[in-house]
Amino acid sequence: MAKIIVVTSGKGGVGKTTSAAAIATGLALRGNKTVVIDFDVGLRNLDLIMGCERRVVYDLVNVIQGEAGLNQALIRDKRTENLHILPASQTRDKDALTLEGVEKVLNDLAEDFDYIICDSPAGIERGAQLAMYFADEAVVVTNPEVSSVRDSDRILGLLSSKSRRAEQNREPVKEHLLITRYNANRVDDGDMLNLEDIREILAIELIGLIPESEAVLRASNQGVPVVHDDNSDAGQAYLDTVARLMGEEVPLRFHAAQKRSLISRMFGGGGRR
Amino acid sequence: MSLNRDRAETAFTFKGGMLPMTVMELTSGDPERVRAQLAGKVSQAPAFFQHTPVVLSVERLDEPHLALERICAVCRAHKLLPVAVRGGPDPVKQSAWALGLGWFPPQESRPKAVEASPAEPVVEVETELPLPVAEGGQTGGRIHRGTVRSGQQVSAPEGDLVVIGAVNPGAEVLAAGSVHVYGPLRGRALAGIHGDREAGIFCHDLHAELLSVAGTYKRLEDIDPRMLGASVQVQLREDQLRISALT
Repeated sequence: MAKIIVVTSGKGGVGKTTSAAAIATGLALRGNKTVVIDFDVGLRNLDLIMGCERRVVYDLVNVIQGEAGLNQALIRDKRTENLHILPASQTRDKDALTLEGVEKVLNDLAEDFDYIICDSPAGIERGAQLAMYFADEAVVVTNPEVSSVRDSDRILGLLSSKSRRAEQNREPVKEHLLITRYNANRVDDGDMLNLEDIREILAIELIGLIPESEAVLRASNQGVPVVHDDNSDAGQAYLDTVARLMGEEVPLRFHAAQKRSLISRMFGGGGRR
Repeated sequence: MSLNRDRAETAFTFKGGMLPMTVMELTSGDPERVRAQLAGKVSQAPAFFQHTPVVLSVERLDEPHLALERICAVCRAHKLLPVAVRGGPDPVKQSAWALGLGWFPPQESRPKAVEASPAEPVVEVETELPLPVAEGGQTGGRIHRGTVRSGQQVSAPEGDLVVIGAVNPGAEVLAAGSVHVYGPLRGRALAGIHGDREAGIFCHDLHAELLSVAGTYKRLEDIDPRMLGASVQVQLREDQLRISALT
């Protein structure tokens, strides 16, 4: 039986799609049969991040409305074995998704895959609620700033009341905190919230910490999930996150400030690699 | 002055008001069963039954021809004053009016399904039949375990609310009585929501966005910064909220 994991946040622009792509790719690289679904109907982005935008023919809405079969819509990733992408529709809106339709797609995928990663749209409305409804686990993506933390808190409240597990009184959705765009130097300067403040408010287990990195932007624009760049700090941090999702114990990295050299301080450069 | 003369001539003014009201939710339309249960309740809480006004809710009954007159008589015999009926089909509405009672439409049902619910995830407490209020003892309070998150509301329409966990920014906790928070209070806390001026707010770690007792409130920026992060009690004294350290 597949494990359904939703990547969500409430707030937009915090790195949901980047994280969903990186986690799905990381899981597949570890040998798990993985599919990543874009739930952001109308604002399709996952295909760009995964570098498969030219191969999209059918999408999630087509499958739900019976216009295409699941196998016609699934795109096999060219770089990674075991990885498939189910894109969103760009021309429809979120009302095209139905609870029953989503359930059927997930049930069909569950027969063939080990992990189903749902990339949630921003917000707390229908699209986001459908993406999270059937989840077994949730990765809540949070940036070290107050508005992102508050929105994540809101999403955690919805996960505990509006998911199928909550409504059926089953074991609750397993919630994981993923902090992205963490810049330890700016935390030390007081520009960003620190790790402990975020953990104290959200009070859920930390699954990973992704440092702010130029590698992420480069990866997005090239359409290559950042875990393929395993020399980068962000790539390594996502691989650590994937290992923890699979139940391994991995020590936390990238949370301490880099010592800046005299020259980089003089020229105002960051300590980023 | 025409304005003054107008005022002198008015015999009354209409004002909107929110009064606490006991709702008697009927699960049986049989007057004899109501009588038997009421007799038991009177012996448990005699102080409650002193011409207490009640609203008879018949929403959970499915009987078009309810023996409303006999049920009212049973209530009056036990010193409860039915003042209105809530819910029920048209014949029930007509007989309520014939008996000189008001009629309220049924309470909006809360949709449960994920797609049809614009409402906040409100945690609601089922109000049971009247509890002994006059003794000043513990009434139907509520204990909530776990973090109250942004956008969530936890309320105790009767008695005190105890939260064992944090109340996060954007969350709201309310109680007819006092509010106790064993954890950081970062959201809004409202005590005495039905007007109980003796209610208070007690918390371990004060960072509240808003504190209110019986409608008198203080915002975060009105709170003395020295009290932030402290273990405090908040009470109403001479129409002002007084925040003092718990020692």
